[in-house]
Parts: sequence; structure tokens; C-alpha cells
Amino acid sequence: MKPKGSEFMFLAWNEIRNNKLRFTLVIGVLVLISYLVFFLSGLANGLEQLNREAVDKWEADGIILTEESDLRLQQSILSKDDFDGSGVDEYTELSQLSAIASNGDKKENVYIFAVDPSSFIMPDVTEGNAFVDEGEVIADDTLKEDGFEIGDELSLSSTDETLEIVGFTDKARFNAAPVLFTDQDTLETLQYGEFAEEDSDAINAFIIRTDNLNNVEADKTLQVIDTETFIENLPGYTEQNLTLTLMIYFLFIISAVVLAIFLYVLTIQKISIFGVMKAQGISSGYLAGSVVAQTFLLSLAGVMIGLFLAVITGLFLPAAVPVAFNYIEMLIYGIILIVVSVIGALISVQTIVRIDPLKAIGG
Amino acid sequence: MAILELKKVQKTFGTGRTKVEAMKETDFEAEKGELIAVIGPSGSGKSTFLTIAGGLQTPTDGEVMINGTALADLKEKKRAALRLKEVGFVLQASNLIPYLNVGQQMQLLDKVKKGNLQKEEAKELYQSLGIDHLIRNFPKDLSGGEKQRVAIAKALYTNPSIILADEPTASLDSDRAFEVMNMLKEITKEKQTATIVVTHDTRLIDDCDKVYKITDGKMELQERVYDTL
Repeated sequence: MKPKGSEFMFLAWNEIRNNKLRFTLVIGVLVLISYLVFFLSGLANGLEQLNREAVDKWEADGIILTEESDLRLQQSILSKDDFDGSGVDEYTELSQLSAIASNGDKKENVYIFAVDPSSFIMPDVTEGNAFVDEGEVIADDTLKEDGFEIGDELSLSSTDETLEIVGFTDKARFNAAPVLFTDQDTLETLQYGEFAEEDSDAINAFIIRTDNLNNVEADKTLQVIDTETFIENLPGYTEQNLTLTLMIYFLFIISAVVLAIFLYVLTIQKISIFGVMKAQGISSGYLAGSVVAQTFLLSLAGVMIGLFLAVITGLFLPAAVPVAFNYIEMLIYGIILIVVSVIGALISVQTIVRIDPLKAIGG
Repeated sequence: MAILELKKVQKTFGTGRTKVEAMKETDFEAEKGELIAVIGPSGSGKSTFLTIAGGLQTPTDGEVMINGTALADLKEKKRAALRLKEVGFVLQASNLIPYLNVGQQMQLLDKVKKGNLQKEEAKELYQSLGIDHLIRNFPKDLSGGEKQRVAIAKALYTNPSIILADEPTASLDSDRAFEVMNMLKEITKEKQTATIVVTHDTRLIDDCDKVYKITDGKMELQERVYDTL
């Protein structure tokens, strides 16, 4: 007779029910670990969005930069004539500048993107209007949360020129700073002041949409890269993600080790009980299945409570903390936590298999 | 046919100068409805006999047969299954599972084996052992005698043909010890099991059908004084 999963639960669940304090402590440790995993994954996700939102908003397949730019937008200086659109479905130019913007009250590090208002990278306006005249900008709405408003006159750190916020757009942060969208002439003026050329053709990049980046025909001095590679090369982006991901992976290992130690100690304490059961003919398989079932219940409870606490925490965090929960990712991490916990229980399973029933009756 | 049969069984530990003969060549038979006592001082080999008879360890030489099946032919998994089906162990009182109540101790056996006692039969068993009011109690709430009665119920619950009891009266006072022995005798006759009780307490052997004495691993059938009267 092969026991079913629910039959393994019988021994597992009754032991938990009758040793509440002991197992609450085990669940407590798992709650803390899973809470940390979920919070870190939310943080990693939030920081990731902080860096790439504006780029994701383009819904572009690739970007063309100069070969010598080292994949940095700022270091890529090229001319509108450098690319004629060969091999792409759509393309548009992008110029950018970074600056400190102030409305007289608050200061904020910003990126200024100059985009063609008729192009596919022109953001949707969620409040106010699109820029029309020189000096007008659409701002990322996180600036609104920081106290900036439509009609604010922005002075910039690197120029005497000023900008006026005429509208807001959502999800438009780049490299951890909000983006101001404007036209090419405004950006020229900000960069060169009275020496700015009208209809200048100096830009930083071409943003492209195409099915196959290999079909793009660009000059040898230019490089065509996919959007993901561009994002990964943003300063600090990969390092930051790797660090947080490494911490999460370490927490998986810690979770497995901690639970393995707890269960091993509990198993050692129960050697004589397991011995008696084995002497009576209860198979090692049933006892092992019971420990695995118990681990599953404990880790499931720990993960569920950890998840709940992380989500609740997320609701009360100030906007300044860049936490963004990706529920599918959290679900996957939760499953991984349960799986590694069960793997950790295998040490105890091995111990159970080796228990000699003879010891139970002092033979 | 004997339900339990040991043929020329020997058990030695170690080799050369460290060799210890825990059980010298022994023949043993237990029939249905027989209550057999195995007596001897501590360290004489009683537990070795019990564990070999119950298939918990293999003999160095000889053959153990349970209900016609030679244990030597079975792998550990099959031996465990045979133990579960044919053998009921009555172990020391402290060996009940501490986190299961009396009813759950039996339920566990239902989880791992079919063909245990039916509900009504189990109820009768609990009544006959005087534990029917203790079904929801945990081992920590039971007295020594109650624990031992639960252990007997647990051994009988799987409807075994052999009961192996290891010092079943060790933790009991005299009255309780006699009570438990009487109970084992009644069960043996009623259920037609072969019951083997290992004990060092010679006061408890009067009602047994056979008595074996083990001295330094040598097992001998004892002549009963009252048999000759």
C-alpha cells in the first residue's frame, strides 16, 4: 500500500499541532527570510524600473550610438545625417542632457530628452499639454510628487536658460532620475545658449524599431545594439542588479541551511520514536515522506506570511523608497524558497533512512 | 504449523578474540494460541532473540520463518511490510508517539496498512483493554499502566499473528504487571496469536504455556513444575 500525500500529512500536521511553540519558531525564521527575499526582489525591481522606465516607454528594438561611445548615450555624438533608416521599420533621433533642475523651492537631478513630437518616442501626456513653444517641457510625474507643478519655471544648473513645465507623463525615469521631454531647439539652447544653431543636426542616438537588428545598415563608425544591452550598460545598472540578485540567491541557500539544521535537530530528537515506528514496520519511505510533507507545510506557511508582510510593508513605504513588487517574480521566488527548504530536509530524510529500529528496543 | 520458527539460529558479533556469541545455536517454535515467556538476566541475549524473531536483525547462521516465509529471502522493505502485517510489537511504555493521541496512534497504522481492525472490532479492543475513555488522551496524560495497555492495543490493532513483547511490565507495579500478563494471556487465547514475552520477572511466567530460559546466549525450554504435578 503506497501512502498518498495526504497520509504523509497526518504525522506531519499532528506533530506541528502539538508542538506549536517549536514549529512557530521554525516558521518565524522562514517568515523573516522570505520577507527579506520578497523585499529585496521588490527593491531590485524598483531600482531596475528607476533606471529603465523611460527606455521601456520607447518600445524600441534597438539604439544606434557611435562606436567610440562605449555604449553611453552622453558620450555618443553624431549627426542626423549619419543614418538614413536603411533596414529599419521606424527610427527617430534622440538628444539628451543631464542637469540639476530647480523650481526655486526644490532641486532635482534630471535628464532632458529632446524628441521629435511626431515620433514614436514622444511620451503620452497624462496631465497638462505637450510642449509646443521653445522652453516648454513635459516632466516625469515623480517630480509632481516632489512638489513640482505645471507652470513651474525651472532654472538649470549649467545654463541661465529656463524651462517651463507644461505637462506631465508617467513612468519616465532614466538612470535613476526623472526625464524632462522637450524639442531639439530647446535642448540646443540649453547646451549652447546664444551660440545655438537653429535646426542643428547634432544628436546623441537614433532609436529604432525593426524585426532584425542584423538587417540595419549603419556606418562603420556607428554601432547598433539592442535595447536590453543599452540598458545593461547604464552606469551602475548591472552592478546594482547583480548585487541584489546575489543577495536573494544567498538567502535561498541560507533558507535551505537554516531549515535543514532545524529539521536535523528535530529528527535527532525523534530518533527513538522513528526507531519504534520502523520496528513496527512503518517504512522509512513513509517517515521520510512525512518529514518532507512537514517541511512543505512549514515553508509554505513561512512564505505566505512573509509575502503578506512584504506586500503590507510595500503599501506603507514612502515614495522615495524604490520598491516595486512583481507578483509573478514573487511567486517564483516563493516556490524556489519552498523547493530549497524541501531540499534542505533531505539531510533529515537520509538520517531517518539510517535509523536502526534495533535501537528502539535496546537490541 | 508453527507461526514463528527459528531453526539453528546463531548470532555472533565481532571476530577473533573480540568474537561474542550473543545467541548460541537455537531452535524455537511458537504455535497459534501459545503464550511463551523468555526469561533470563540482563545481557543474556533476550533482546537479541526478540529482534531476530521479529526480523529486526538477521542471524549469523540459521533460518527464521514467519508464517512460512523465510526472512532471509526478503529485502528490508519487504521485511518491514511483513513485520507490519504479521508482527505486533509491545515495546516499553515510553515508546508511544508523544504527539499523537491514543486514537491517532491507531489511525497512523491505518495510514500505512490496510486490513486493520474494523471500527467495531477496534472499539471492542479498547473496551477489553479498558482504554476506550482514553482515546483523546496524549501519552503524557496517561499512567504507566494505561500506556502499556495502549501499547498492547497498538500491537493488536494490525491483527498480527505474532505478538512480541519486550519487558511489557518493566515500568509497572506488581498489580499492574499481573494485570498486563493476564490481558496478554486472554488475547493470545481469544485471537489465537503466538505471544512471546521477554521478561526478567519470573513471577509473571506462571500462566505461560512454555518458558524458555536464556543464559549466556544459550536458550533452553524449561520444564514447568506444575506440569509434573
